Amino acid sequence: MTALEARDVALSFGETPALRGASLAVDPGEIVAIMGPSGSGKSTLLHCLAGILVPSAGEVLFEGDRLDQLGEHQRSVLRRDRFGFVFQFGQLVPELTAQENVALPLLLGGARRTAAMAAAEPWFDRLGLAGLQRRRSGELSGGQAQRVALARGLVARPSVLFADEPTGALDSVTGEQVMNLLVDAAHDQRTTVVLVTHEARVAAYADRQVIVRDGRVNALVRS
Amino acid sequence: MIRFAIRLTVVGGREAVTRLVIIAGAVALGVALLLAPIAATNALGAQNQRYAWLNTAVAPTVKGGDSLLWLIHGDYYHGRTIGRVEVAAQGAHAPLPPGIPRLPRPGEYYVSPALGELLATTPPAELGDRFPGHDIGVIGDAALPSPDSLLVVIGRTPADLTALGATRATQIMTTAPSGCGQCYAGFNANDIAVALSVVAAALIFPVLIFIATATRLAAARREQRFAAMRLVGATPRQISLLSAVESTLAAAVGTAVGLGLFLAARPSLARIPFTGERFFVADLSLTAPDLLGVALGVPAGAVVAAGLALRRVRISPLGVSRRVTPRPPRGWRALPLVVGLAELGYFVGRRPASTNGQLIAYVTGFVVILVGLVLAGPWLTMQSARVLAGRARRPATLIAGRRLADDPRAAFRSVSGLIVALFVTTVATGAITTFVAHRGAPRTDSVEATAVHKIFWPEDGPAPTPARIPAGLGSIPGVRDVTLVHRADDGGHWLAVITCSDLDRLAVYGRCPPGARVAAVNPGLVDTPGTEIEAADLDPAAVAGLPIMSVVVNTANHAALEQARTLLENAFPRGQPPASEGEREADNSQDLVRLQQLASVVIIGSLPIAGCSLAVSVASGLSDRRRPFSLLRLTGVQLATLRQVVAIESLLPLLASAAVAIGLGFLAAELFLRAQLGYTLTPPGWVYYAVVTGGLALSLTIIASTLPLLQRITGPDTARNE
Repeated sequence: MTALEARDVALSFGETPALRGASLAVDPGEIVAIMGPSGSGKSTLLHCLAGILVPSAGEVLFEGDRLDQLGEHQRSVLRRDRFGFVFQFGQLVPELTAQENVALPLLLGGARRTAAMAAAEPWFDRLGLAGLQRRRSGELSGGQAQRVALARGLVARPSVLFADEPTGALDSVTGEQVMNLLVDAAHDQRTTVVLVTHEARVAAYADRQVIVRDGRVNALVRS
Repeated sequence: MIRFAIRLTVVGGREAVTRLVIIAGAVALGVALLLAPIAATNALGAQNQRYAWLNTAVAPTVKGGDSLLWLIHGDYYHGRTIGRVEVAAQGAHAPLPPGIPRLPRPGEYYVSPALGELLATTPPAELGDRFPGHDIGVIGDAALPSPDSLLVVIGRTPADLTALGATRATQIMTTAPSGCGQCYAGFNANDIAVALSVVAAALIFPVLIFIATATRLAAARREQRFAAMRLVGATPRQISLLSAVESTLAAAVGTAVGLGLFLAARPSLARIPFTGERFFVADLSLTAPDLLGVALGVPAGAVVAAGLALRRVRISPLGVSRRVTPRPPRGWRALPLVVGLAELGYFVGRRPASTNGQLIAYVTGFVVILVGLVLAGPWLTMQSARVLAGRARRPATLIAGRRLADDPRAAFRSVSGLIVALFVTTVATGAITTFVAHRGAPRTDSVEATAVHKIFWPEDGPAPTPARIPAGLGSIPGVRDVTLVHRADDGGHWLAVITCSDLDRLAVYGRCPPGARVAAVNPGLVDTPGTEIEAADLDPAAVAGLPIMSVVVNTANHAALEQARTLLENAFPRGQPPASEGEREADNSQDLVRLQQLASVVIIGSLPIAGCSLAVSVASGLSDRRRPFSLLRLTGVQLATLRQVVAIESLLPLLASAAVAIGLGFLAAELFLRAQLGYTLTPPGWVYYAVVTGGLALSLTIIASTLPLLQRITGPDTARNE
């Protein structure tokens, strides 16, 4: 059974079609990179796979169940409990410390504060952030903030991690560091990763690359 | 450049227009609230000027010309004061009071419109019979301090007036009571103007905070736009000009709207009895300097505010960088608060002997507490937010607590106006309620309100004989008893006395001390708080032979009281008019009740404004965090959780500050009352709680109105398009 699958998914924003029958299947533990030029529909495909957007046609399945038929509340709970997210920038809550940011998904899931903070703690050593636990997002460099976001995306041990241009705001060296950490952590936890990027060197970290063009997944490339 | 700046301001997108509208709205509110006390101060002068002629008895004498015999005294009807002027011309060219075409002849009188209406609807025995003769016209507005003034100008013969103790006037007084030491009609406009200035300050402070908060709304977008302009070559000076034009435009629109708001609110404003009586609408006028000052001052202030706001950020061609967050507030900020409370506490049991000493002791105490409250606010906010965040179990509480602790000054700023208003109002209400409870108007069903008395003061002439007491008093339906109090000589002083058997029979005026046969009482018989009925060393049999000091008529209803008053007034026109103890106390406490009304105006005005500030502050905070919040929503965080964050962020400072301000207000009032008057604080009436609760509820509603914004700005589109 696939971890995640899109079947002939279509979605338009007003008159503008973003996806026109895109299909993609992702195996458990697999890292898939979605590539494509700007406006090709790759982020929209990721949002449909993550249950953020509901396609107007086609099906989205998570572990064999129809995701697109769930209500907003159920999709929110699914995203919170089973998925993790890393975005390009600006995802940390500025008032919280780095450790509280990492612990946030666990707190939102109902964990006790001490337990959530304890679960967040090891990620700082693991991602080379030791000593930065009490810093705010404004006191972190771009690479540090992105590693905190990565820890936050993985702390709840999600089944799938969605990463939308995770290195888009970083220089190449820092971007490579973040990608190495992401891939290692995902392999350690056997987390499936869906990665959207327009950079070939970032996509190279994936087990498989797909290219989206004009709203369709029209090329598959094995790494 | 200015034209370009105007175009940029107006067509800068929906967000820019919203920002413009909110700033203009805040300015409009500020202008209206600024104009109201200015116009009220002008109205005070106008009203007081129309009191001037009632002080004709003390008008300077001018040589030559005819004169006028003049007598003025007060009267009451259902607790309302009636001004009764009695005149007799001495010559064809006797001075003529304002508002009437000629002097009334004996047997004629003019009445004010309000008194005319009252006469038309009241049985003559209760009111009309007090005025000899017949009504020949209405007194014009020029002679009426207020549309509600109850005034009568009665024509008398010179002989009658001379017998009643009238004075001779050679001119009608034109000097306003504020500028005349001997004047008794009217009020000291300067005192009320000071009170109005405090009201104005208490209202303007929250508005200034509101305007300052509004300028931060969507400021991030605006600053990014400025940075983009710097990139294409705009100089810092041009950026300042763009900012100034935007602020001036908003302030100019706001000033015009504010003027309209004020004009629309003028009829309602005129109904507020700042002086005890409402104003004529025309009294609430603005002079040219007033208008010019506001029209130029407010936009100028807005430009300065915009300049200060820009100083907080550094706009370079490469973007906007915020100045570093200031250091967290320190604990020393709580010191003045403690000092102020300690100062008031010190004077409990050590009341300064002189009035000046008392003023210095208490006023400095209150001011130090107030300043301390504003200074300590951010520190207290930070401490409570840290405790909240430290103990938070839910993510919403954690985020809200951290945000409040992160910038406690900003959080407190939006409620500081409210703090000032609530503290001032609570101190005033606490002190006034306690004072009125001890010394104010009594309950309407108590003997203080149902018994009317006429006192025959020795200086008003010989005391009447029992035969002159109107026989009809006892037969008025609703009269319970008619009691005579006698005057005994007590070694050069007089003493009002009554036999204990009479006192016990009446049962409503108190009890004699055990073993006493004659009691020394107040002339009005009604016991005033703090005085005790004492025994008088007299033979009860001798009391009836002593001169009459007063006649006291206890009644079962208003109609009986007014009929008794009419009979007594007609029988004894000299001296003070018959009145109940309640009416006299109400006169004494009128100033305080007036202050209480002003205090309510402050709360009603400032709470919603503070609510607006909070709402704008919340909206501004949401706008700043739209990306992390919308990304949190994408990751599955429920909208309800984000709503909780917003609710806690705004409710905590609002409710905590309100509780602290109210608590400290009552504490300061208690310390003052114990130190100065030896009273313990009496809890305020339901009106205070209703006003505070209503104002807070309105503020909360305004804050709740920002919640839909959360859903809109954290939608998936935000994350996609930022």
